[in-house]
Parts: sequence; C-alpha cells; structure tokens
Amino acid sequence: MGNGGSLSGSFYNQKDRLWLVIWVSGIIGLGLWDALFLNQPAFTLVRAAFGNTVVAGCLAVVLSIGFGWLLGVALHFLETRRRPVYLAVTFILNILRSIPQIVGILVGYIVLTVLIENEVLQSRFAQLAWMAFVISLFVFLEVVDLVRGRINHFSKLDFFHAMLCCGIKEHRIINREILWKNTRAHLFQKMVSIFGIAIFLQCSIDFIVSVGLSTDVSLSNFPVTLGNLLSRLDSKQDILAIGKAFTGLTDAQALLFQHLQGVSIAVLIVFTLLCVYKISNGLVSRFNL
Amino acid sequence: MKAKLIEHALSVFFVIGAFVILVIVWKHVQKSEAEARIKLVEPYLNLGFLDYSDPLHRALLKETLDLYYPDRTAKNDSLLLAIESFRQEQFTNQAYKTGGEERGLSSEKLVKLGNMYGLFILVYLLVMVLSYRVAQSLAVLRFIQMKQNRSSYVAELYRYLVGSSPAKGNVSFYFKAISLLGKAVVKGIGYAVLFSPAYVIGYSVRSTFETDSYFFMIVLGVVSNGLLINYANKFFTYLVTESRKGYVQAAIVKNLNASYAWGAGDGMSIRSVFNPQSLYPSHVFSHIYVNARYQYLLSLKEHASFLITGLIIIEMALNIQGHLGYELMQDLLYKEYDVAICIIAGIFLIVKGTEIFADAWFHVESRKYENRA
Repeated sequence: MGNGGSLSGSFYNQKDRLWLVIWVSGIIGLGLWDALFLNQPAFTLVRAAFGNTVVAGCLAVVLSIGFGWLLGVALHFLETRRRPVYLAVTFILNILRSIPQIVGILVGYIVLTVLIENEVLQSRFAQLAWMAFVISLFVFLEVVDLVRGRINHFSKLDFFHAMLCCGIKEHRIINREILWKNTRAHLFQKMVSIFGIAIFLQCSIDFIVSVGLSTDVSLSNFPVTLGNLLSRLDSKQDILAIGKAFTGLTDAQALLFQHLQGVSIAVLIVFTLLCVYKISNGLVSRFNL
Repeated sequence: MKAKLIEHALSVFFVIGAFVILVIVWKHVQKSEAEARIKLVEPYLNLGFLDYSDPLHRALLKETLDLYYPDRTAKNDSLLLAIESFRQEQFTNQAYKTGGEERGLSSEKLVKLGNMYGLFILVYLLVMVLSYRVAQSLAVLRFIQMKQNRSSYVAELYRYLVGSSPAKGNVSFYFKAISLLGKAVVKGIGYAVLFSPAYVIGYSVRSTFETDSYFFMIVLGVVSNGLLINYANKFFTYLVTESRKGYVQAAIVKNLNASYAWGAGDGMSIRSVFNPQSLYPSHVFSHIYVNARYQYLLSLKEHASFLITGLIIIEMALNIQGHLGYELMQDLLYKEYDVAICIIAGIFLIVKGTEIFADAWFHVESRKYENRA
C-alpha cells in the first residue's frame, strides 16, 4: 500500500485473512438481513442449504487431499519400483482427466439415485458424503499433480539423498519432510481452491438434477443444498427479478425484501466463490507459492 | 511427441471400446428385462374375462391370488403392481407412441446427434478461442496494474478521501471521488458476473434477452462459471513467476525498456493488452509474455474440460432445446443410456482432440526454444 491512511496496515496486505473476514462478515450480514426480512420457513431452508453445501464442500476437500496425497506418494513409489503398474495407473488417471467434471459427476448422481431407490443410502449425511466423494473423484488429480511436483522437486535436492544415506526411510522423508514440513502451505492453498470448485460443481449439479433429472426419486429425498433450493420455482422467479431490476421493470428495492430467497441463495453462491478465489490468491501472495 | 500421441490413441481406443461394450451390455440387459416382465404379466393379461380398468375385477384378482397363494401376499401385491405399471406404459411410454421419433440409437438419431455435435464443437471452439485471448488480456492488464503499483479502487478512494488533496472541497474533488466509487461499483458488478454460475446470469436476464440463442450461449460460456477469471489468474501467475526470474533482471540491466507506464515512449500501450505480441522485443515484458505463454499452452487441456463442463451446465440448466447438453439430460431422464453413452463418448473425443492439439502446439513451441524448428 502506498502513502495514505491506516489502510496500509499489515492486515490489509494479508489478503487471505482480509477476505476471510469479509466472507464471514458478509455471510453474517446476509444472515441478519434474512432473519429480519425473510419468512421463517424460507430462512430455515436457506440456512440448511448453506450448511449442507459447506459440509459437502469441506468433505470433498478432505477426500481430495486424502486421495491426492495417497495416490501422489504411491505413484512416486510405483514409478521407481513397479514401472508397468505406474504406466497403467497414469493411463487411467489421464483418462479420468479427459472426462469433463460435470459428466462424471452426473454419472455419480445417477448412481446416487439408484442407491436411494434401493434404500442403500438413506441418511442425509450419507447422501452428502456420496456427493462429496463423487466431486472429489474429479478434482483430486490437482492434488496428485501438486504432490508429485513437490516430491520430484525435493528428491533432486541433496538433503533427500543425505537423509537416505542416514538410513531414514524414503516414505518418512516424503511424507514428513517433503509433504508435511515443506508443502503444507501449498496443500492449504489447494484445499481452499478445491473448496471453491467443489461448491461450484455441487451447486451446478444440484441445480441441473433438480431442474431436469429427478423423476424416480423425489426432490424431498435429497438433502437441501444451495443448488437445488435455487432451482425451485419461487427462487427462480426471484432470480428473474434481478434482470428486471436492471431494466427498470421491477423495483430494485423489491429484490431486498420480496425476492429475498432466490437473491440470498445467488448472493451466497457468488459471494462465496469470489471470496474463496481471493483467499486462495492471498495465500499464494503470502506464502510466495 | 510420438509417445504422447500413442498414449492419446490408446486412451481413445480404450474408452470408446469400453463405451461400445457398455452400450451392448445395456441393450442386452434392457431386452432381457423387458422379456422377463412380459413373461411375468402376460398370462394374467391374457385372461379375457378380466377387465383391468374395472376396480372390482382388480380386487377380485387380488383376492383370488391371496386365496391361491396365501403365504406370498407381498409377492401378489408386487405382481398386481407390475401388471398395472405394464398397462400404464402402453399409454405413456414414448416407445409405443406413433408419430414420435424412434427411441434408442437409430440411424435417424445418429444424424440428429451429429448435427447437434457439430454445432456444439463450433460453439466450443469459439468460446475456447475467445476465452483464451480474453484471459490473457485480463492477466496482462492485471500484471501491468501490479507493476504500476495500482491498488483497488476502494483503497484508492479511501486514501483519496482521508488524504490531503489540494482540491478538497472543490467540485473536482467530489467528481473524482464519485468517479472512483463508480469504477469500484462497476468492478464489483464485473466480479459478480465473472463468478456467477451460468444459470444465475441466464435466469436473471431471461426476461430481457433471448437466452436460447447461440450468441448468448457463447457470451455466457466465456464470462460465466468462473472460467475466464480462473484462467486469467493462471496466466497472471505465470507472468509473475517469469518476471521474478534472473533473465528479466539481466535484460533490465542491459537497458531493455522496463517501464509499465501507459503511453510512455518506453512504456506500455493499451494495444499491448489486447495483443501482447504487438509489443516491441525491446520491452522486457514481451519476453516475459512469450515465456509465460509457452507454459500456459498446456493449460488448454484442463481449460477444455472445464469449458465443456460450463457449456453443458448452460445447456442443461437453461433447458436449451435441440442442444447436445439438453439432449444428454433428456436421455438420462428417459433412461436412454445408449444414446447418453454415445454423447459422452463424443464429448470425450472433443477433450481428447484438444489435448492432442495442445500437446502438438507445445511440441512445436518447444522445438523453437530448443532451436530445432
């Protein structure tokens, strides 16, 4: 920051923290506004939808990091010890990379529908966990690439060979010295960006599924999320009002009071995605990643 | 490059082979299921004295079944349900309707899918080229602003208001403050659009614009779903990484232009934002740009996958009829899995095609760097 005002404090320069505070404050602010002006049943639904979406996003992050770490390390060992297996696994992973996320996740949702129909997945949490699992299958490759890149980078340095000579096991050097001690910041930044992707994918797929796919399984069987709440007729009418407000057909004021359900959901999605992006960029700057 | 091409070809054969097997298995399962159902209900439907539309007859059949098989009442109920749903299907199933299009993978369907596929590729290519160019321009603009030590409009406004300006209290002071506020609001709206999922933008402007048009789809494909902002950010990261490298410092010491001021003789022009290759090689940024772009080429692969995700979301969420994404959704809804698999195979081929193109382009550029071109 330049020469003026107290804005040039260190907090302003730590964009990740600044945007985290902005995100939390924004969510609290919107929650208070909704508590005052949104009807109680709708407010309960919006809260539940946001909570479920965040929980599914966090689960997707945890699963992605877990899968990515495990597979990244496994690939390193396979590359040096079991070359044919390594080639086969990378071949499969490259195929997975070539499948657009939305297509893969759609297939995962069809399986979820079948599981619900056959009464295999009954609890709401299990259904959320399944959604998170499917999403993580199509985003965890980013973590694999990161883990592999870091291992390749550090394994060329002297300390790696020196530690091996000292009798320290390779898996310990990789897991503890390279990944835990020297890649935590990278992994943390990746977790934040995956959280954003997971929220986006989950909202989109829930919206699509709710708009045009669920016939066999009633919508009430799915846990409420921001995506499927936005696809409801009343929310869609609220969203239509946003465009009308810009063209003067609807009073812009009505957006803040009458169309609050749909507008709140849209704001929650867009604001969360923006803040996550800013937090992720802030982490890159702070840790020089 | 040869190894890469072999890997791509193998994966195409592998996936298409797997899809063909899936279609065959699906058709077989469908056929045997249908036969089993008919076998189950046919003897009962052939009882000429029973009128299934009459509730009394249905109740009589149930009682008779329960009398004959008293130990399997649940099975009897299931049988009655199966008969009922079979009869309903005679009226509601698309496959039995005359005049409608043939269900499943027929030659007629393949021609229809081919047309949709062609249009989808056209839209995809346009969005790809546009987003690739615009993402670079946005990244270059952000990089130049970073080099100019520009902060956000909100921070600038805050500093302007609390700082000691000689024009304080004048009309020009307020004019500049309002102008900064306006720029901050416009930037905020811009961010909101760039981070909005396509369906939020699509539904919000549905009453104002024709959202089913190709033009709208292309615009939405470029600006929404975070595609543009994320790939601009990626390119920006490459620019920053390159600018920190030693050769940049060496070039500056050797008197290459390094000013990022707008319009200065040795600085940047607005044209360079839209066409960074137009910069003279005497400016250090032209070298930063070329090296960053080289690394960015491989990002096209993941860009392709994410872009297709965005296009499918647009077509499905906005119910744009006659498009590939909408067709896929309909096929999944009506359990036409053979057609759905065919569409997914087509989408996979588009991504693979882009990956092969990106690898080839990267290979050609690498040869230039290695002086082998």
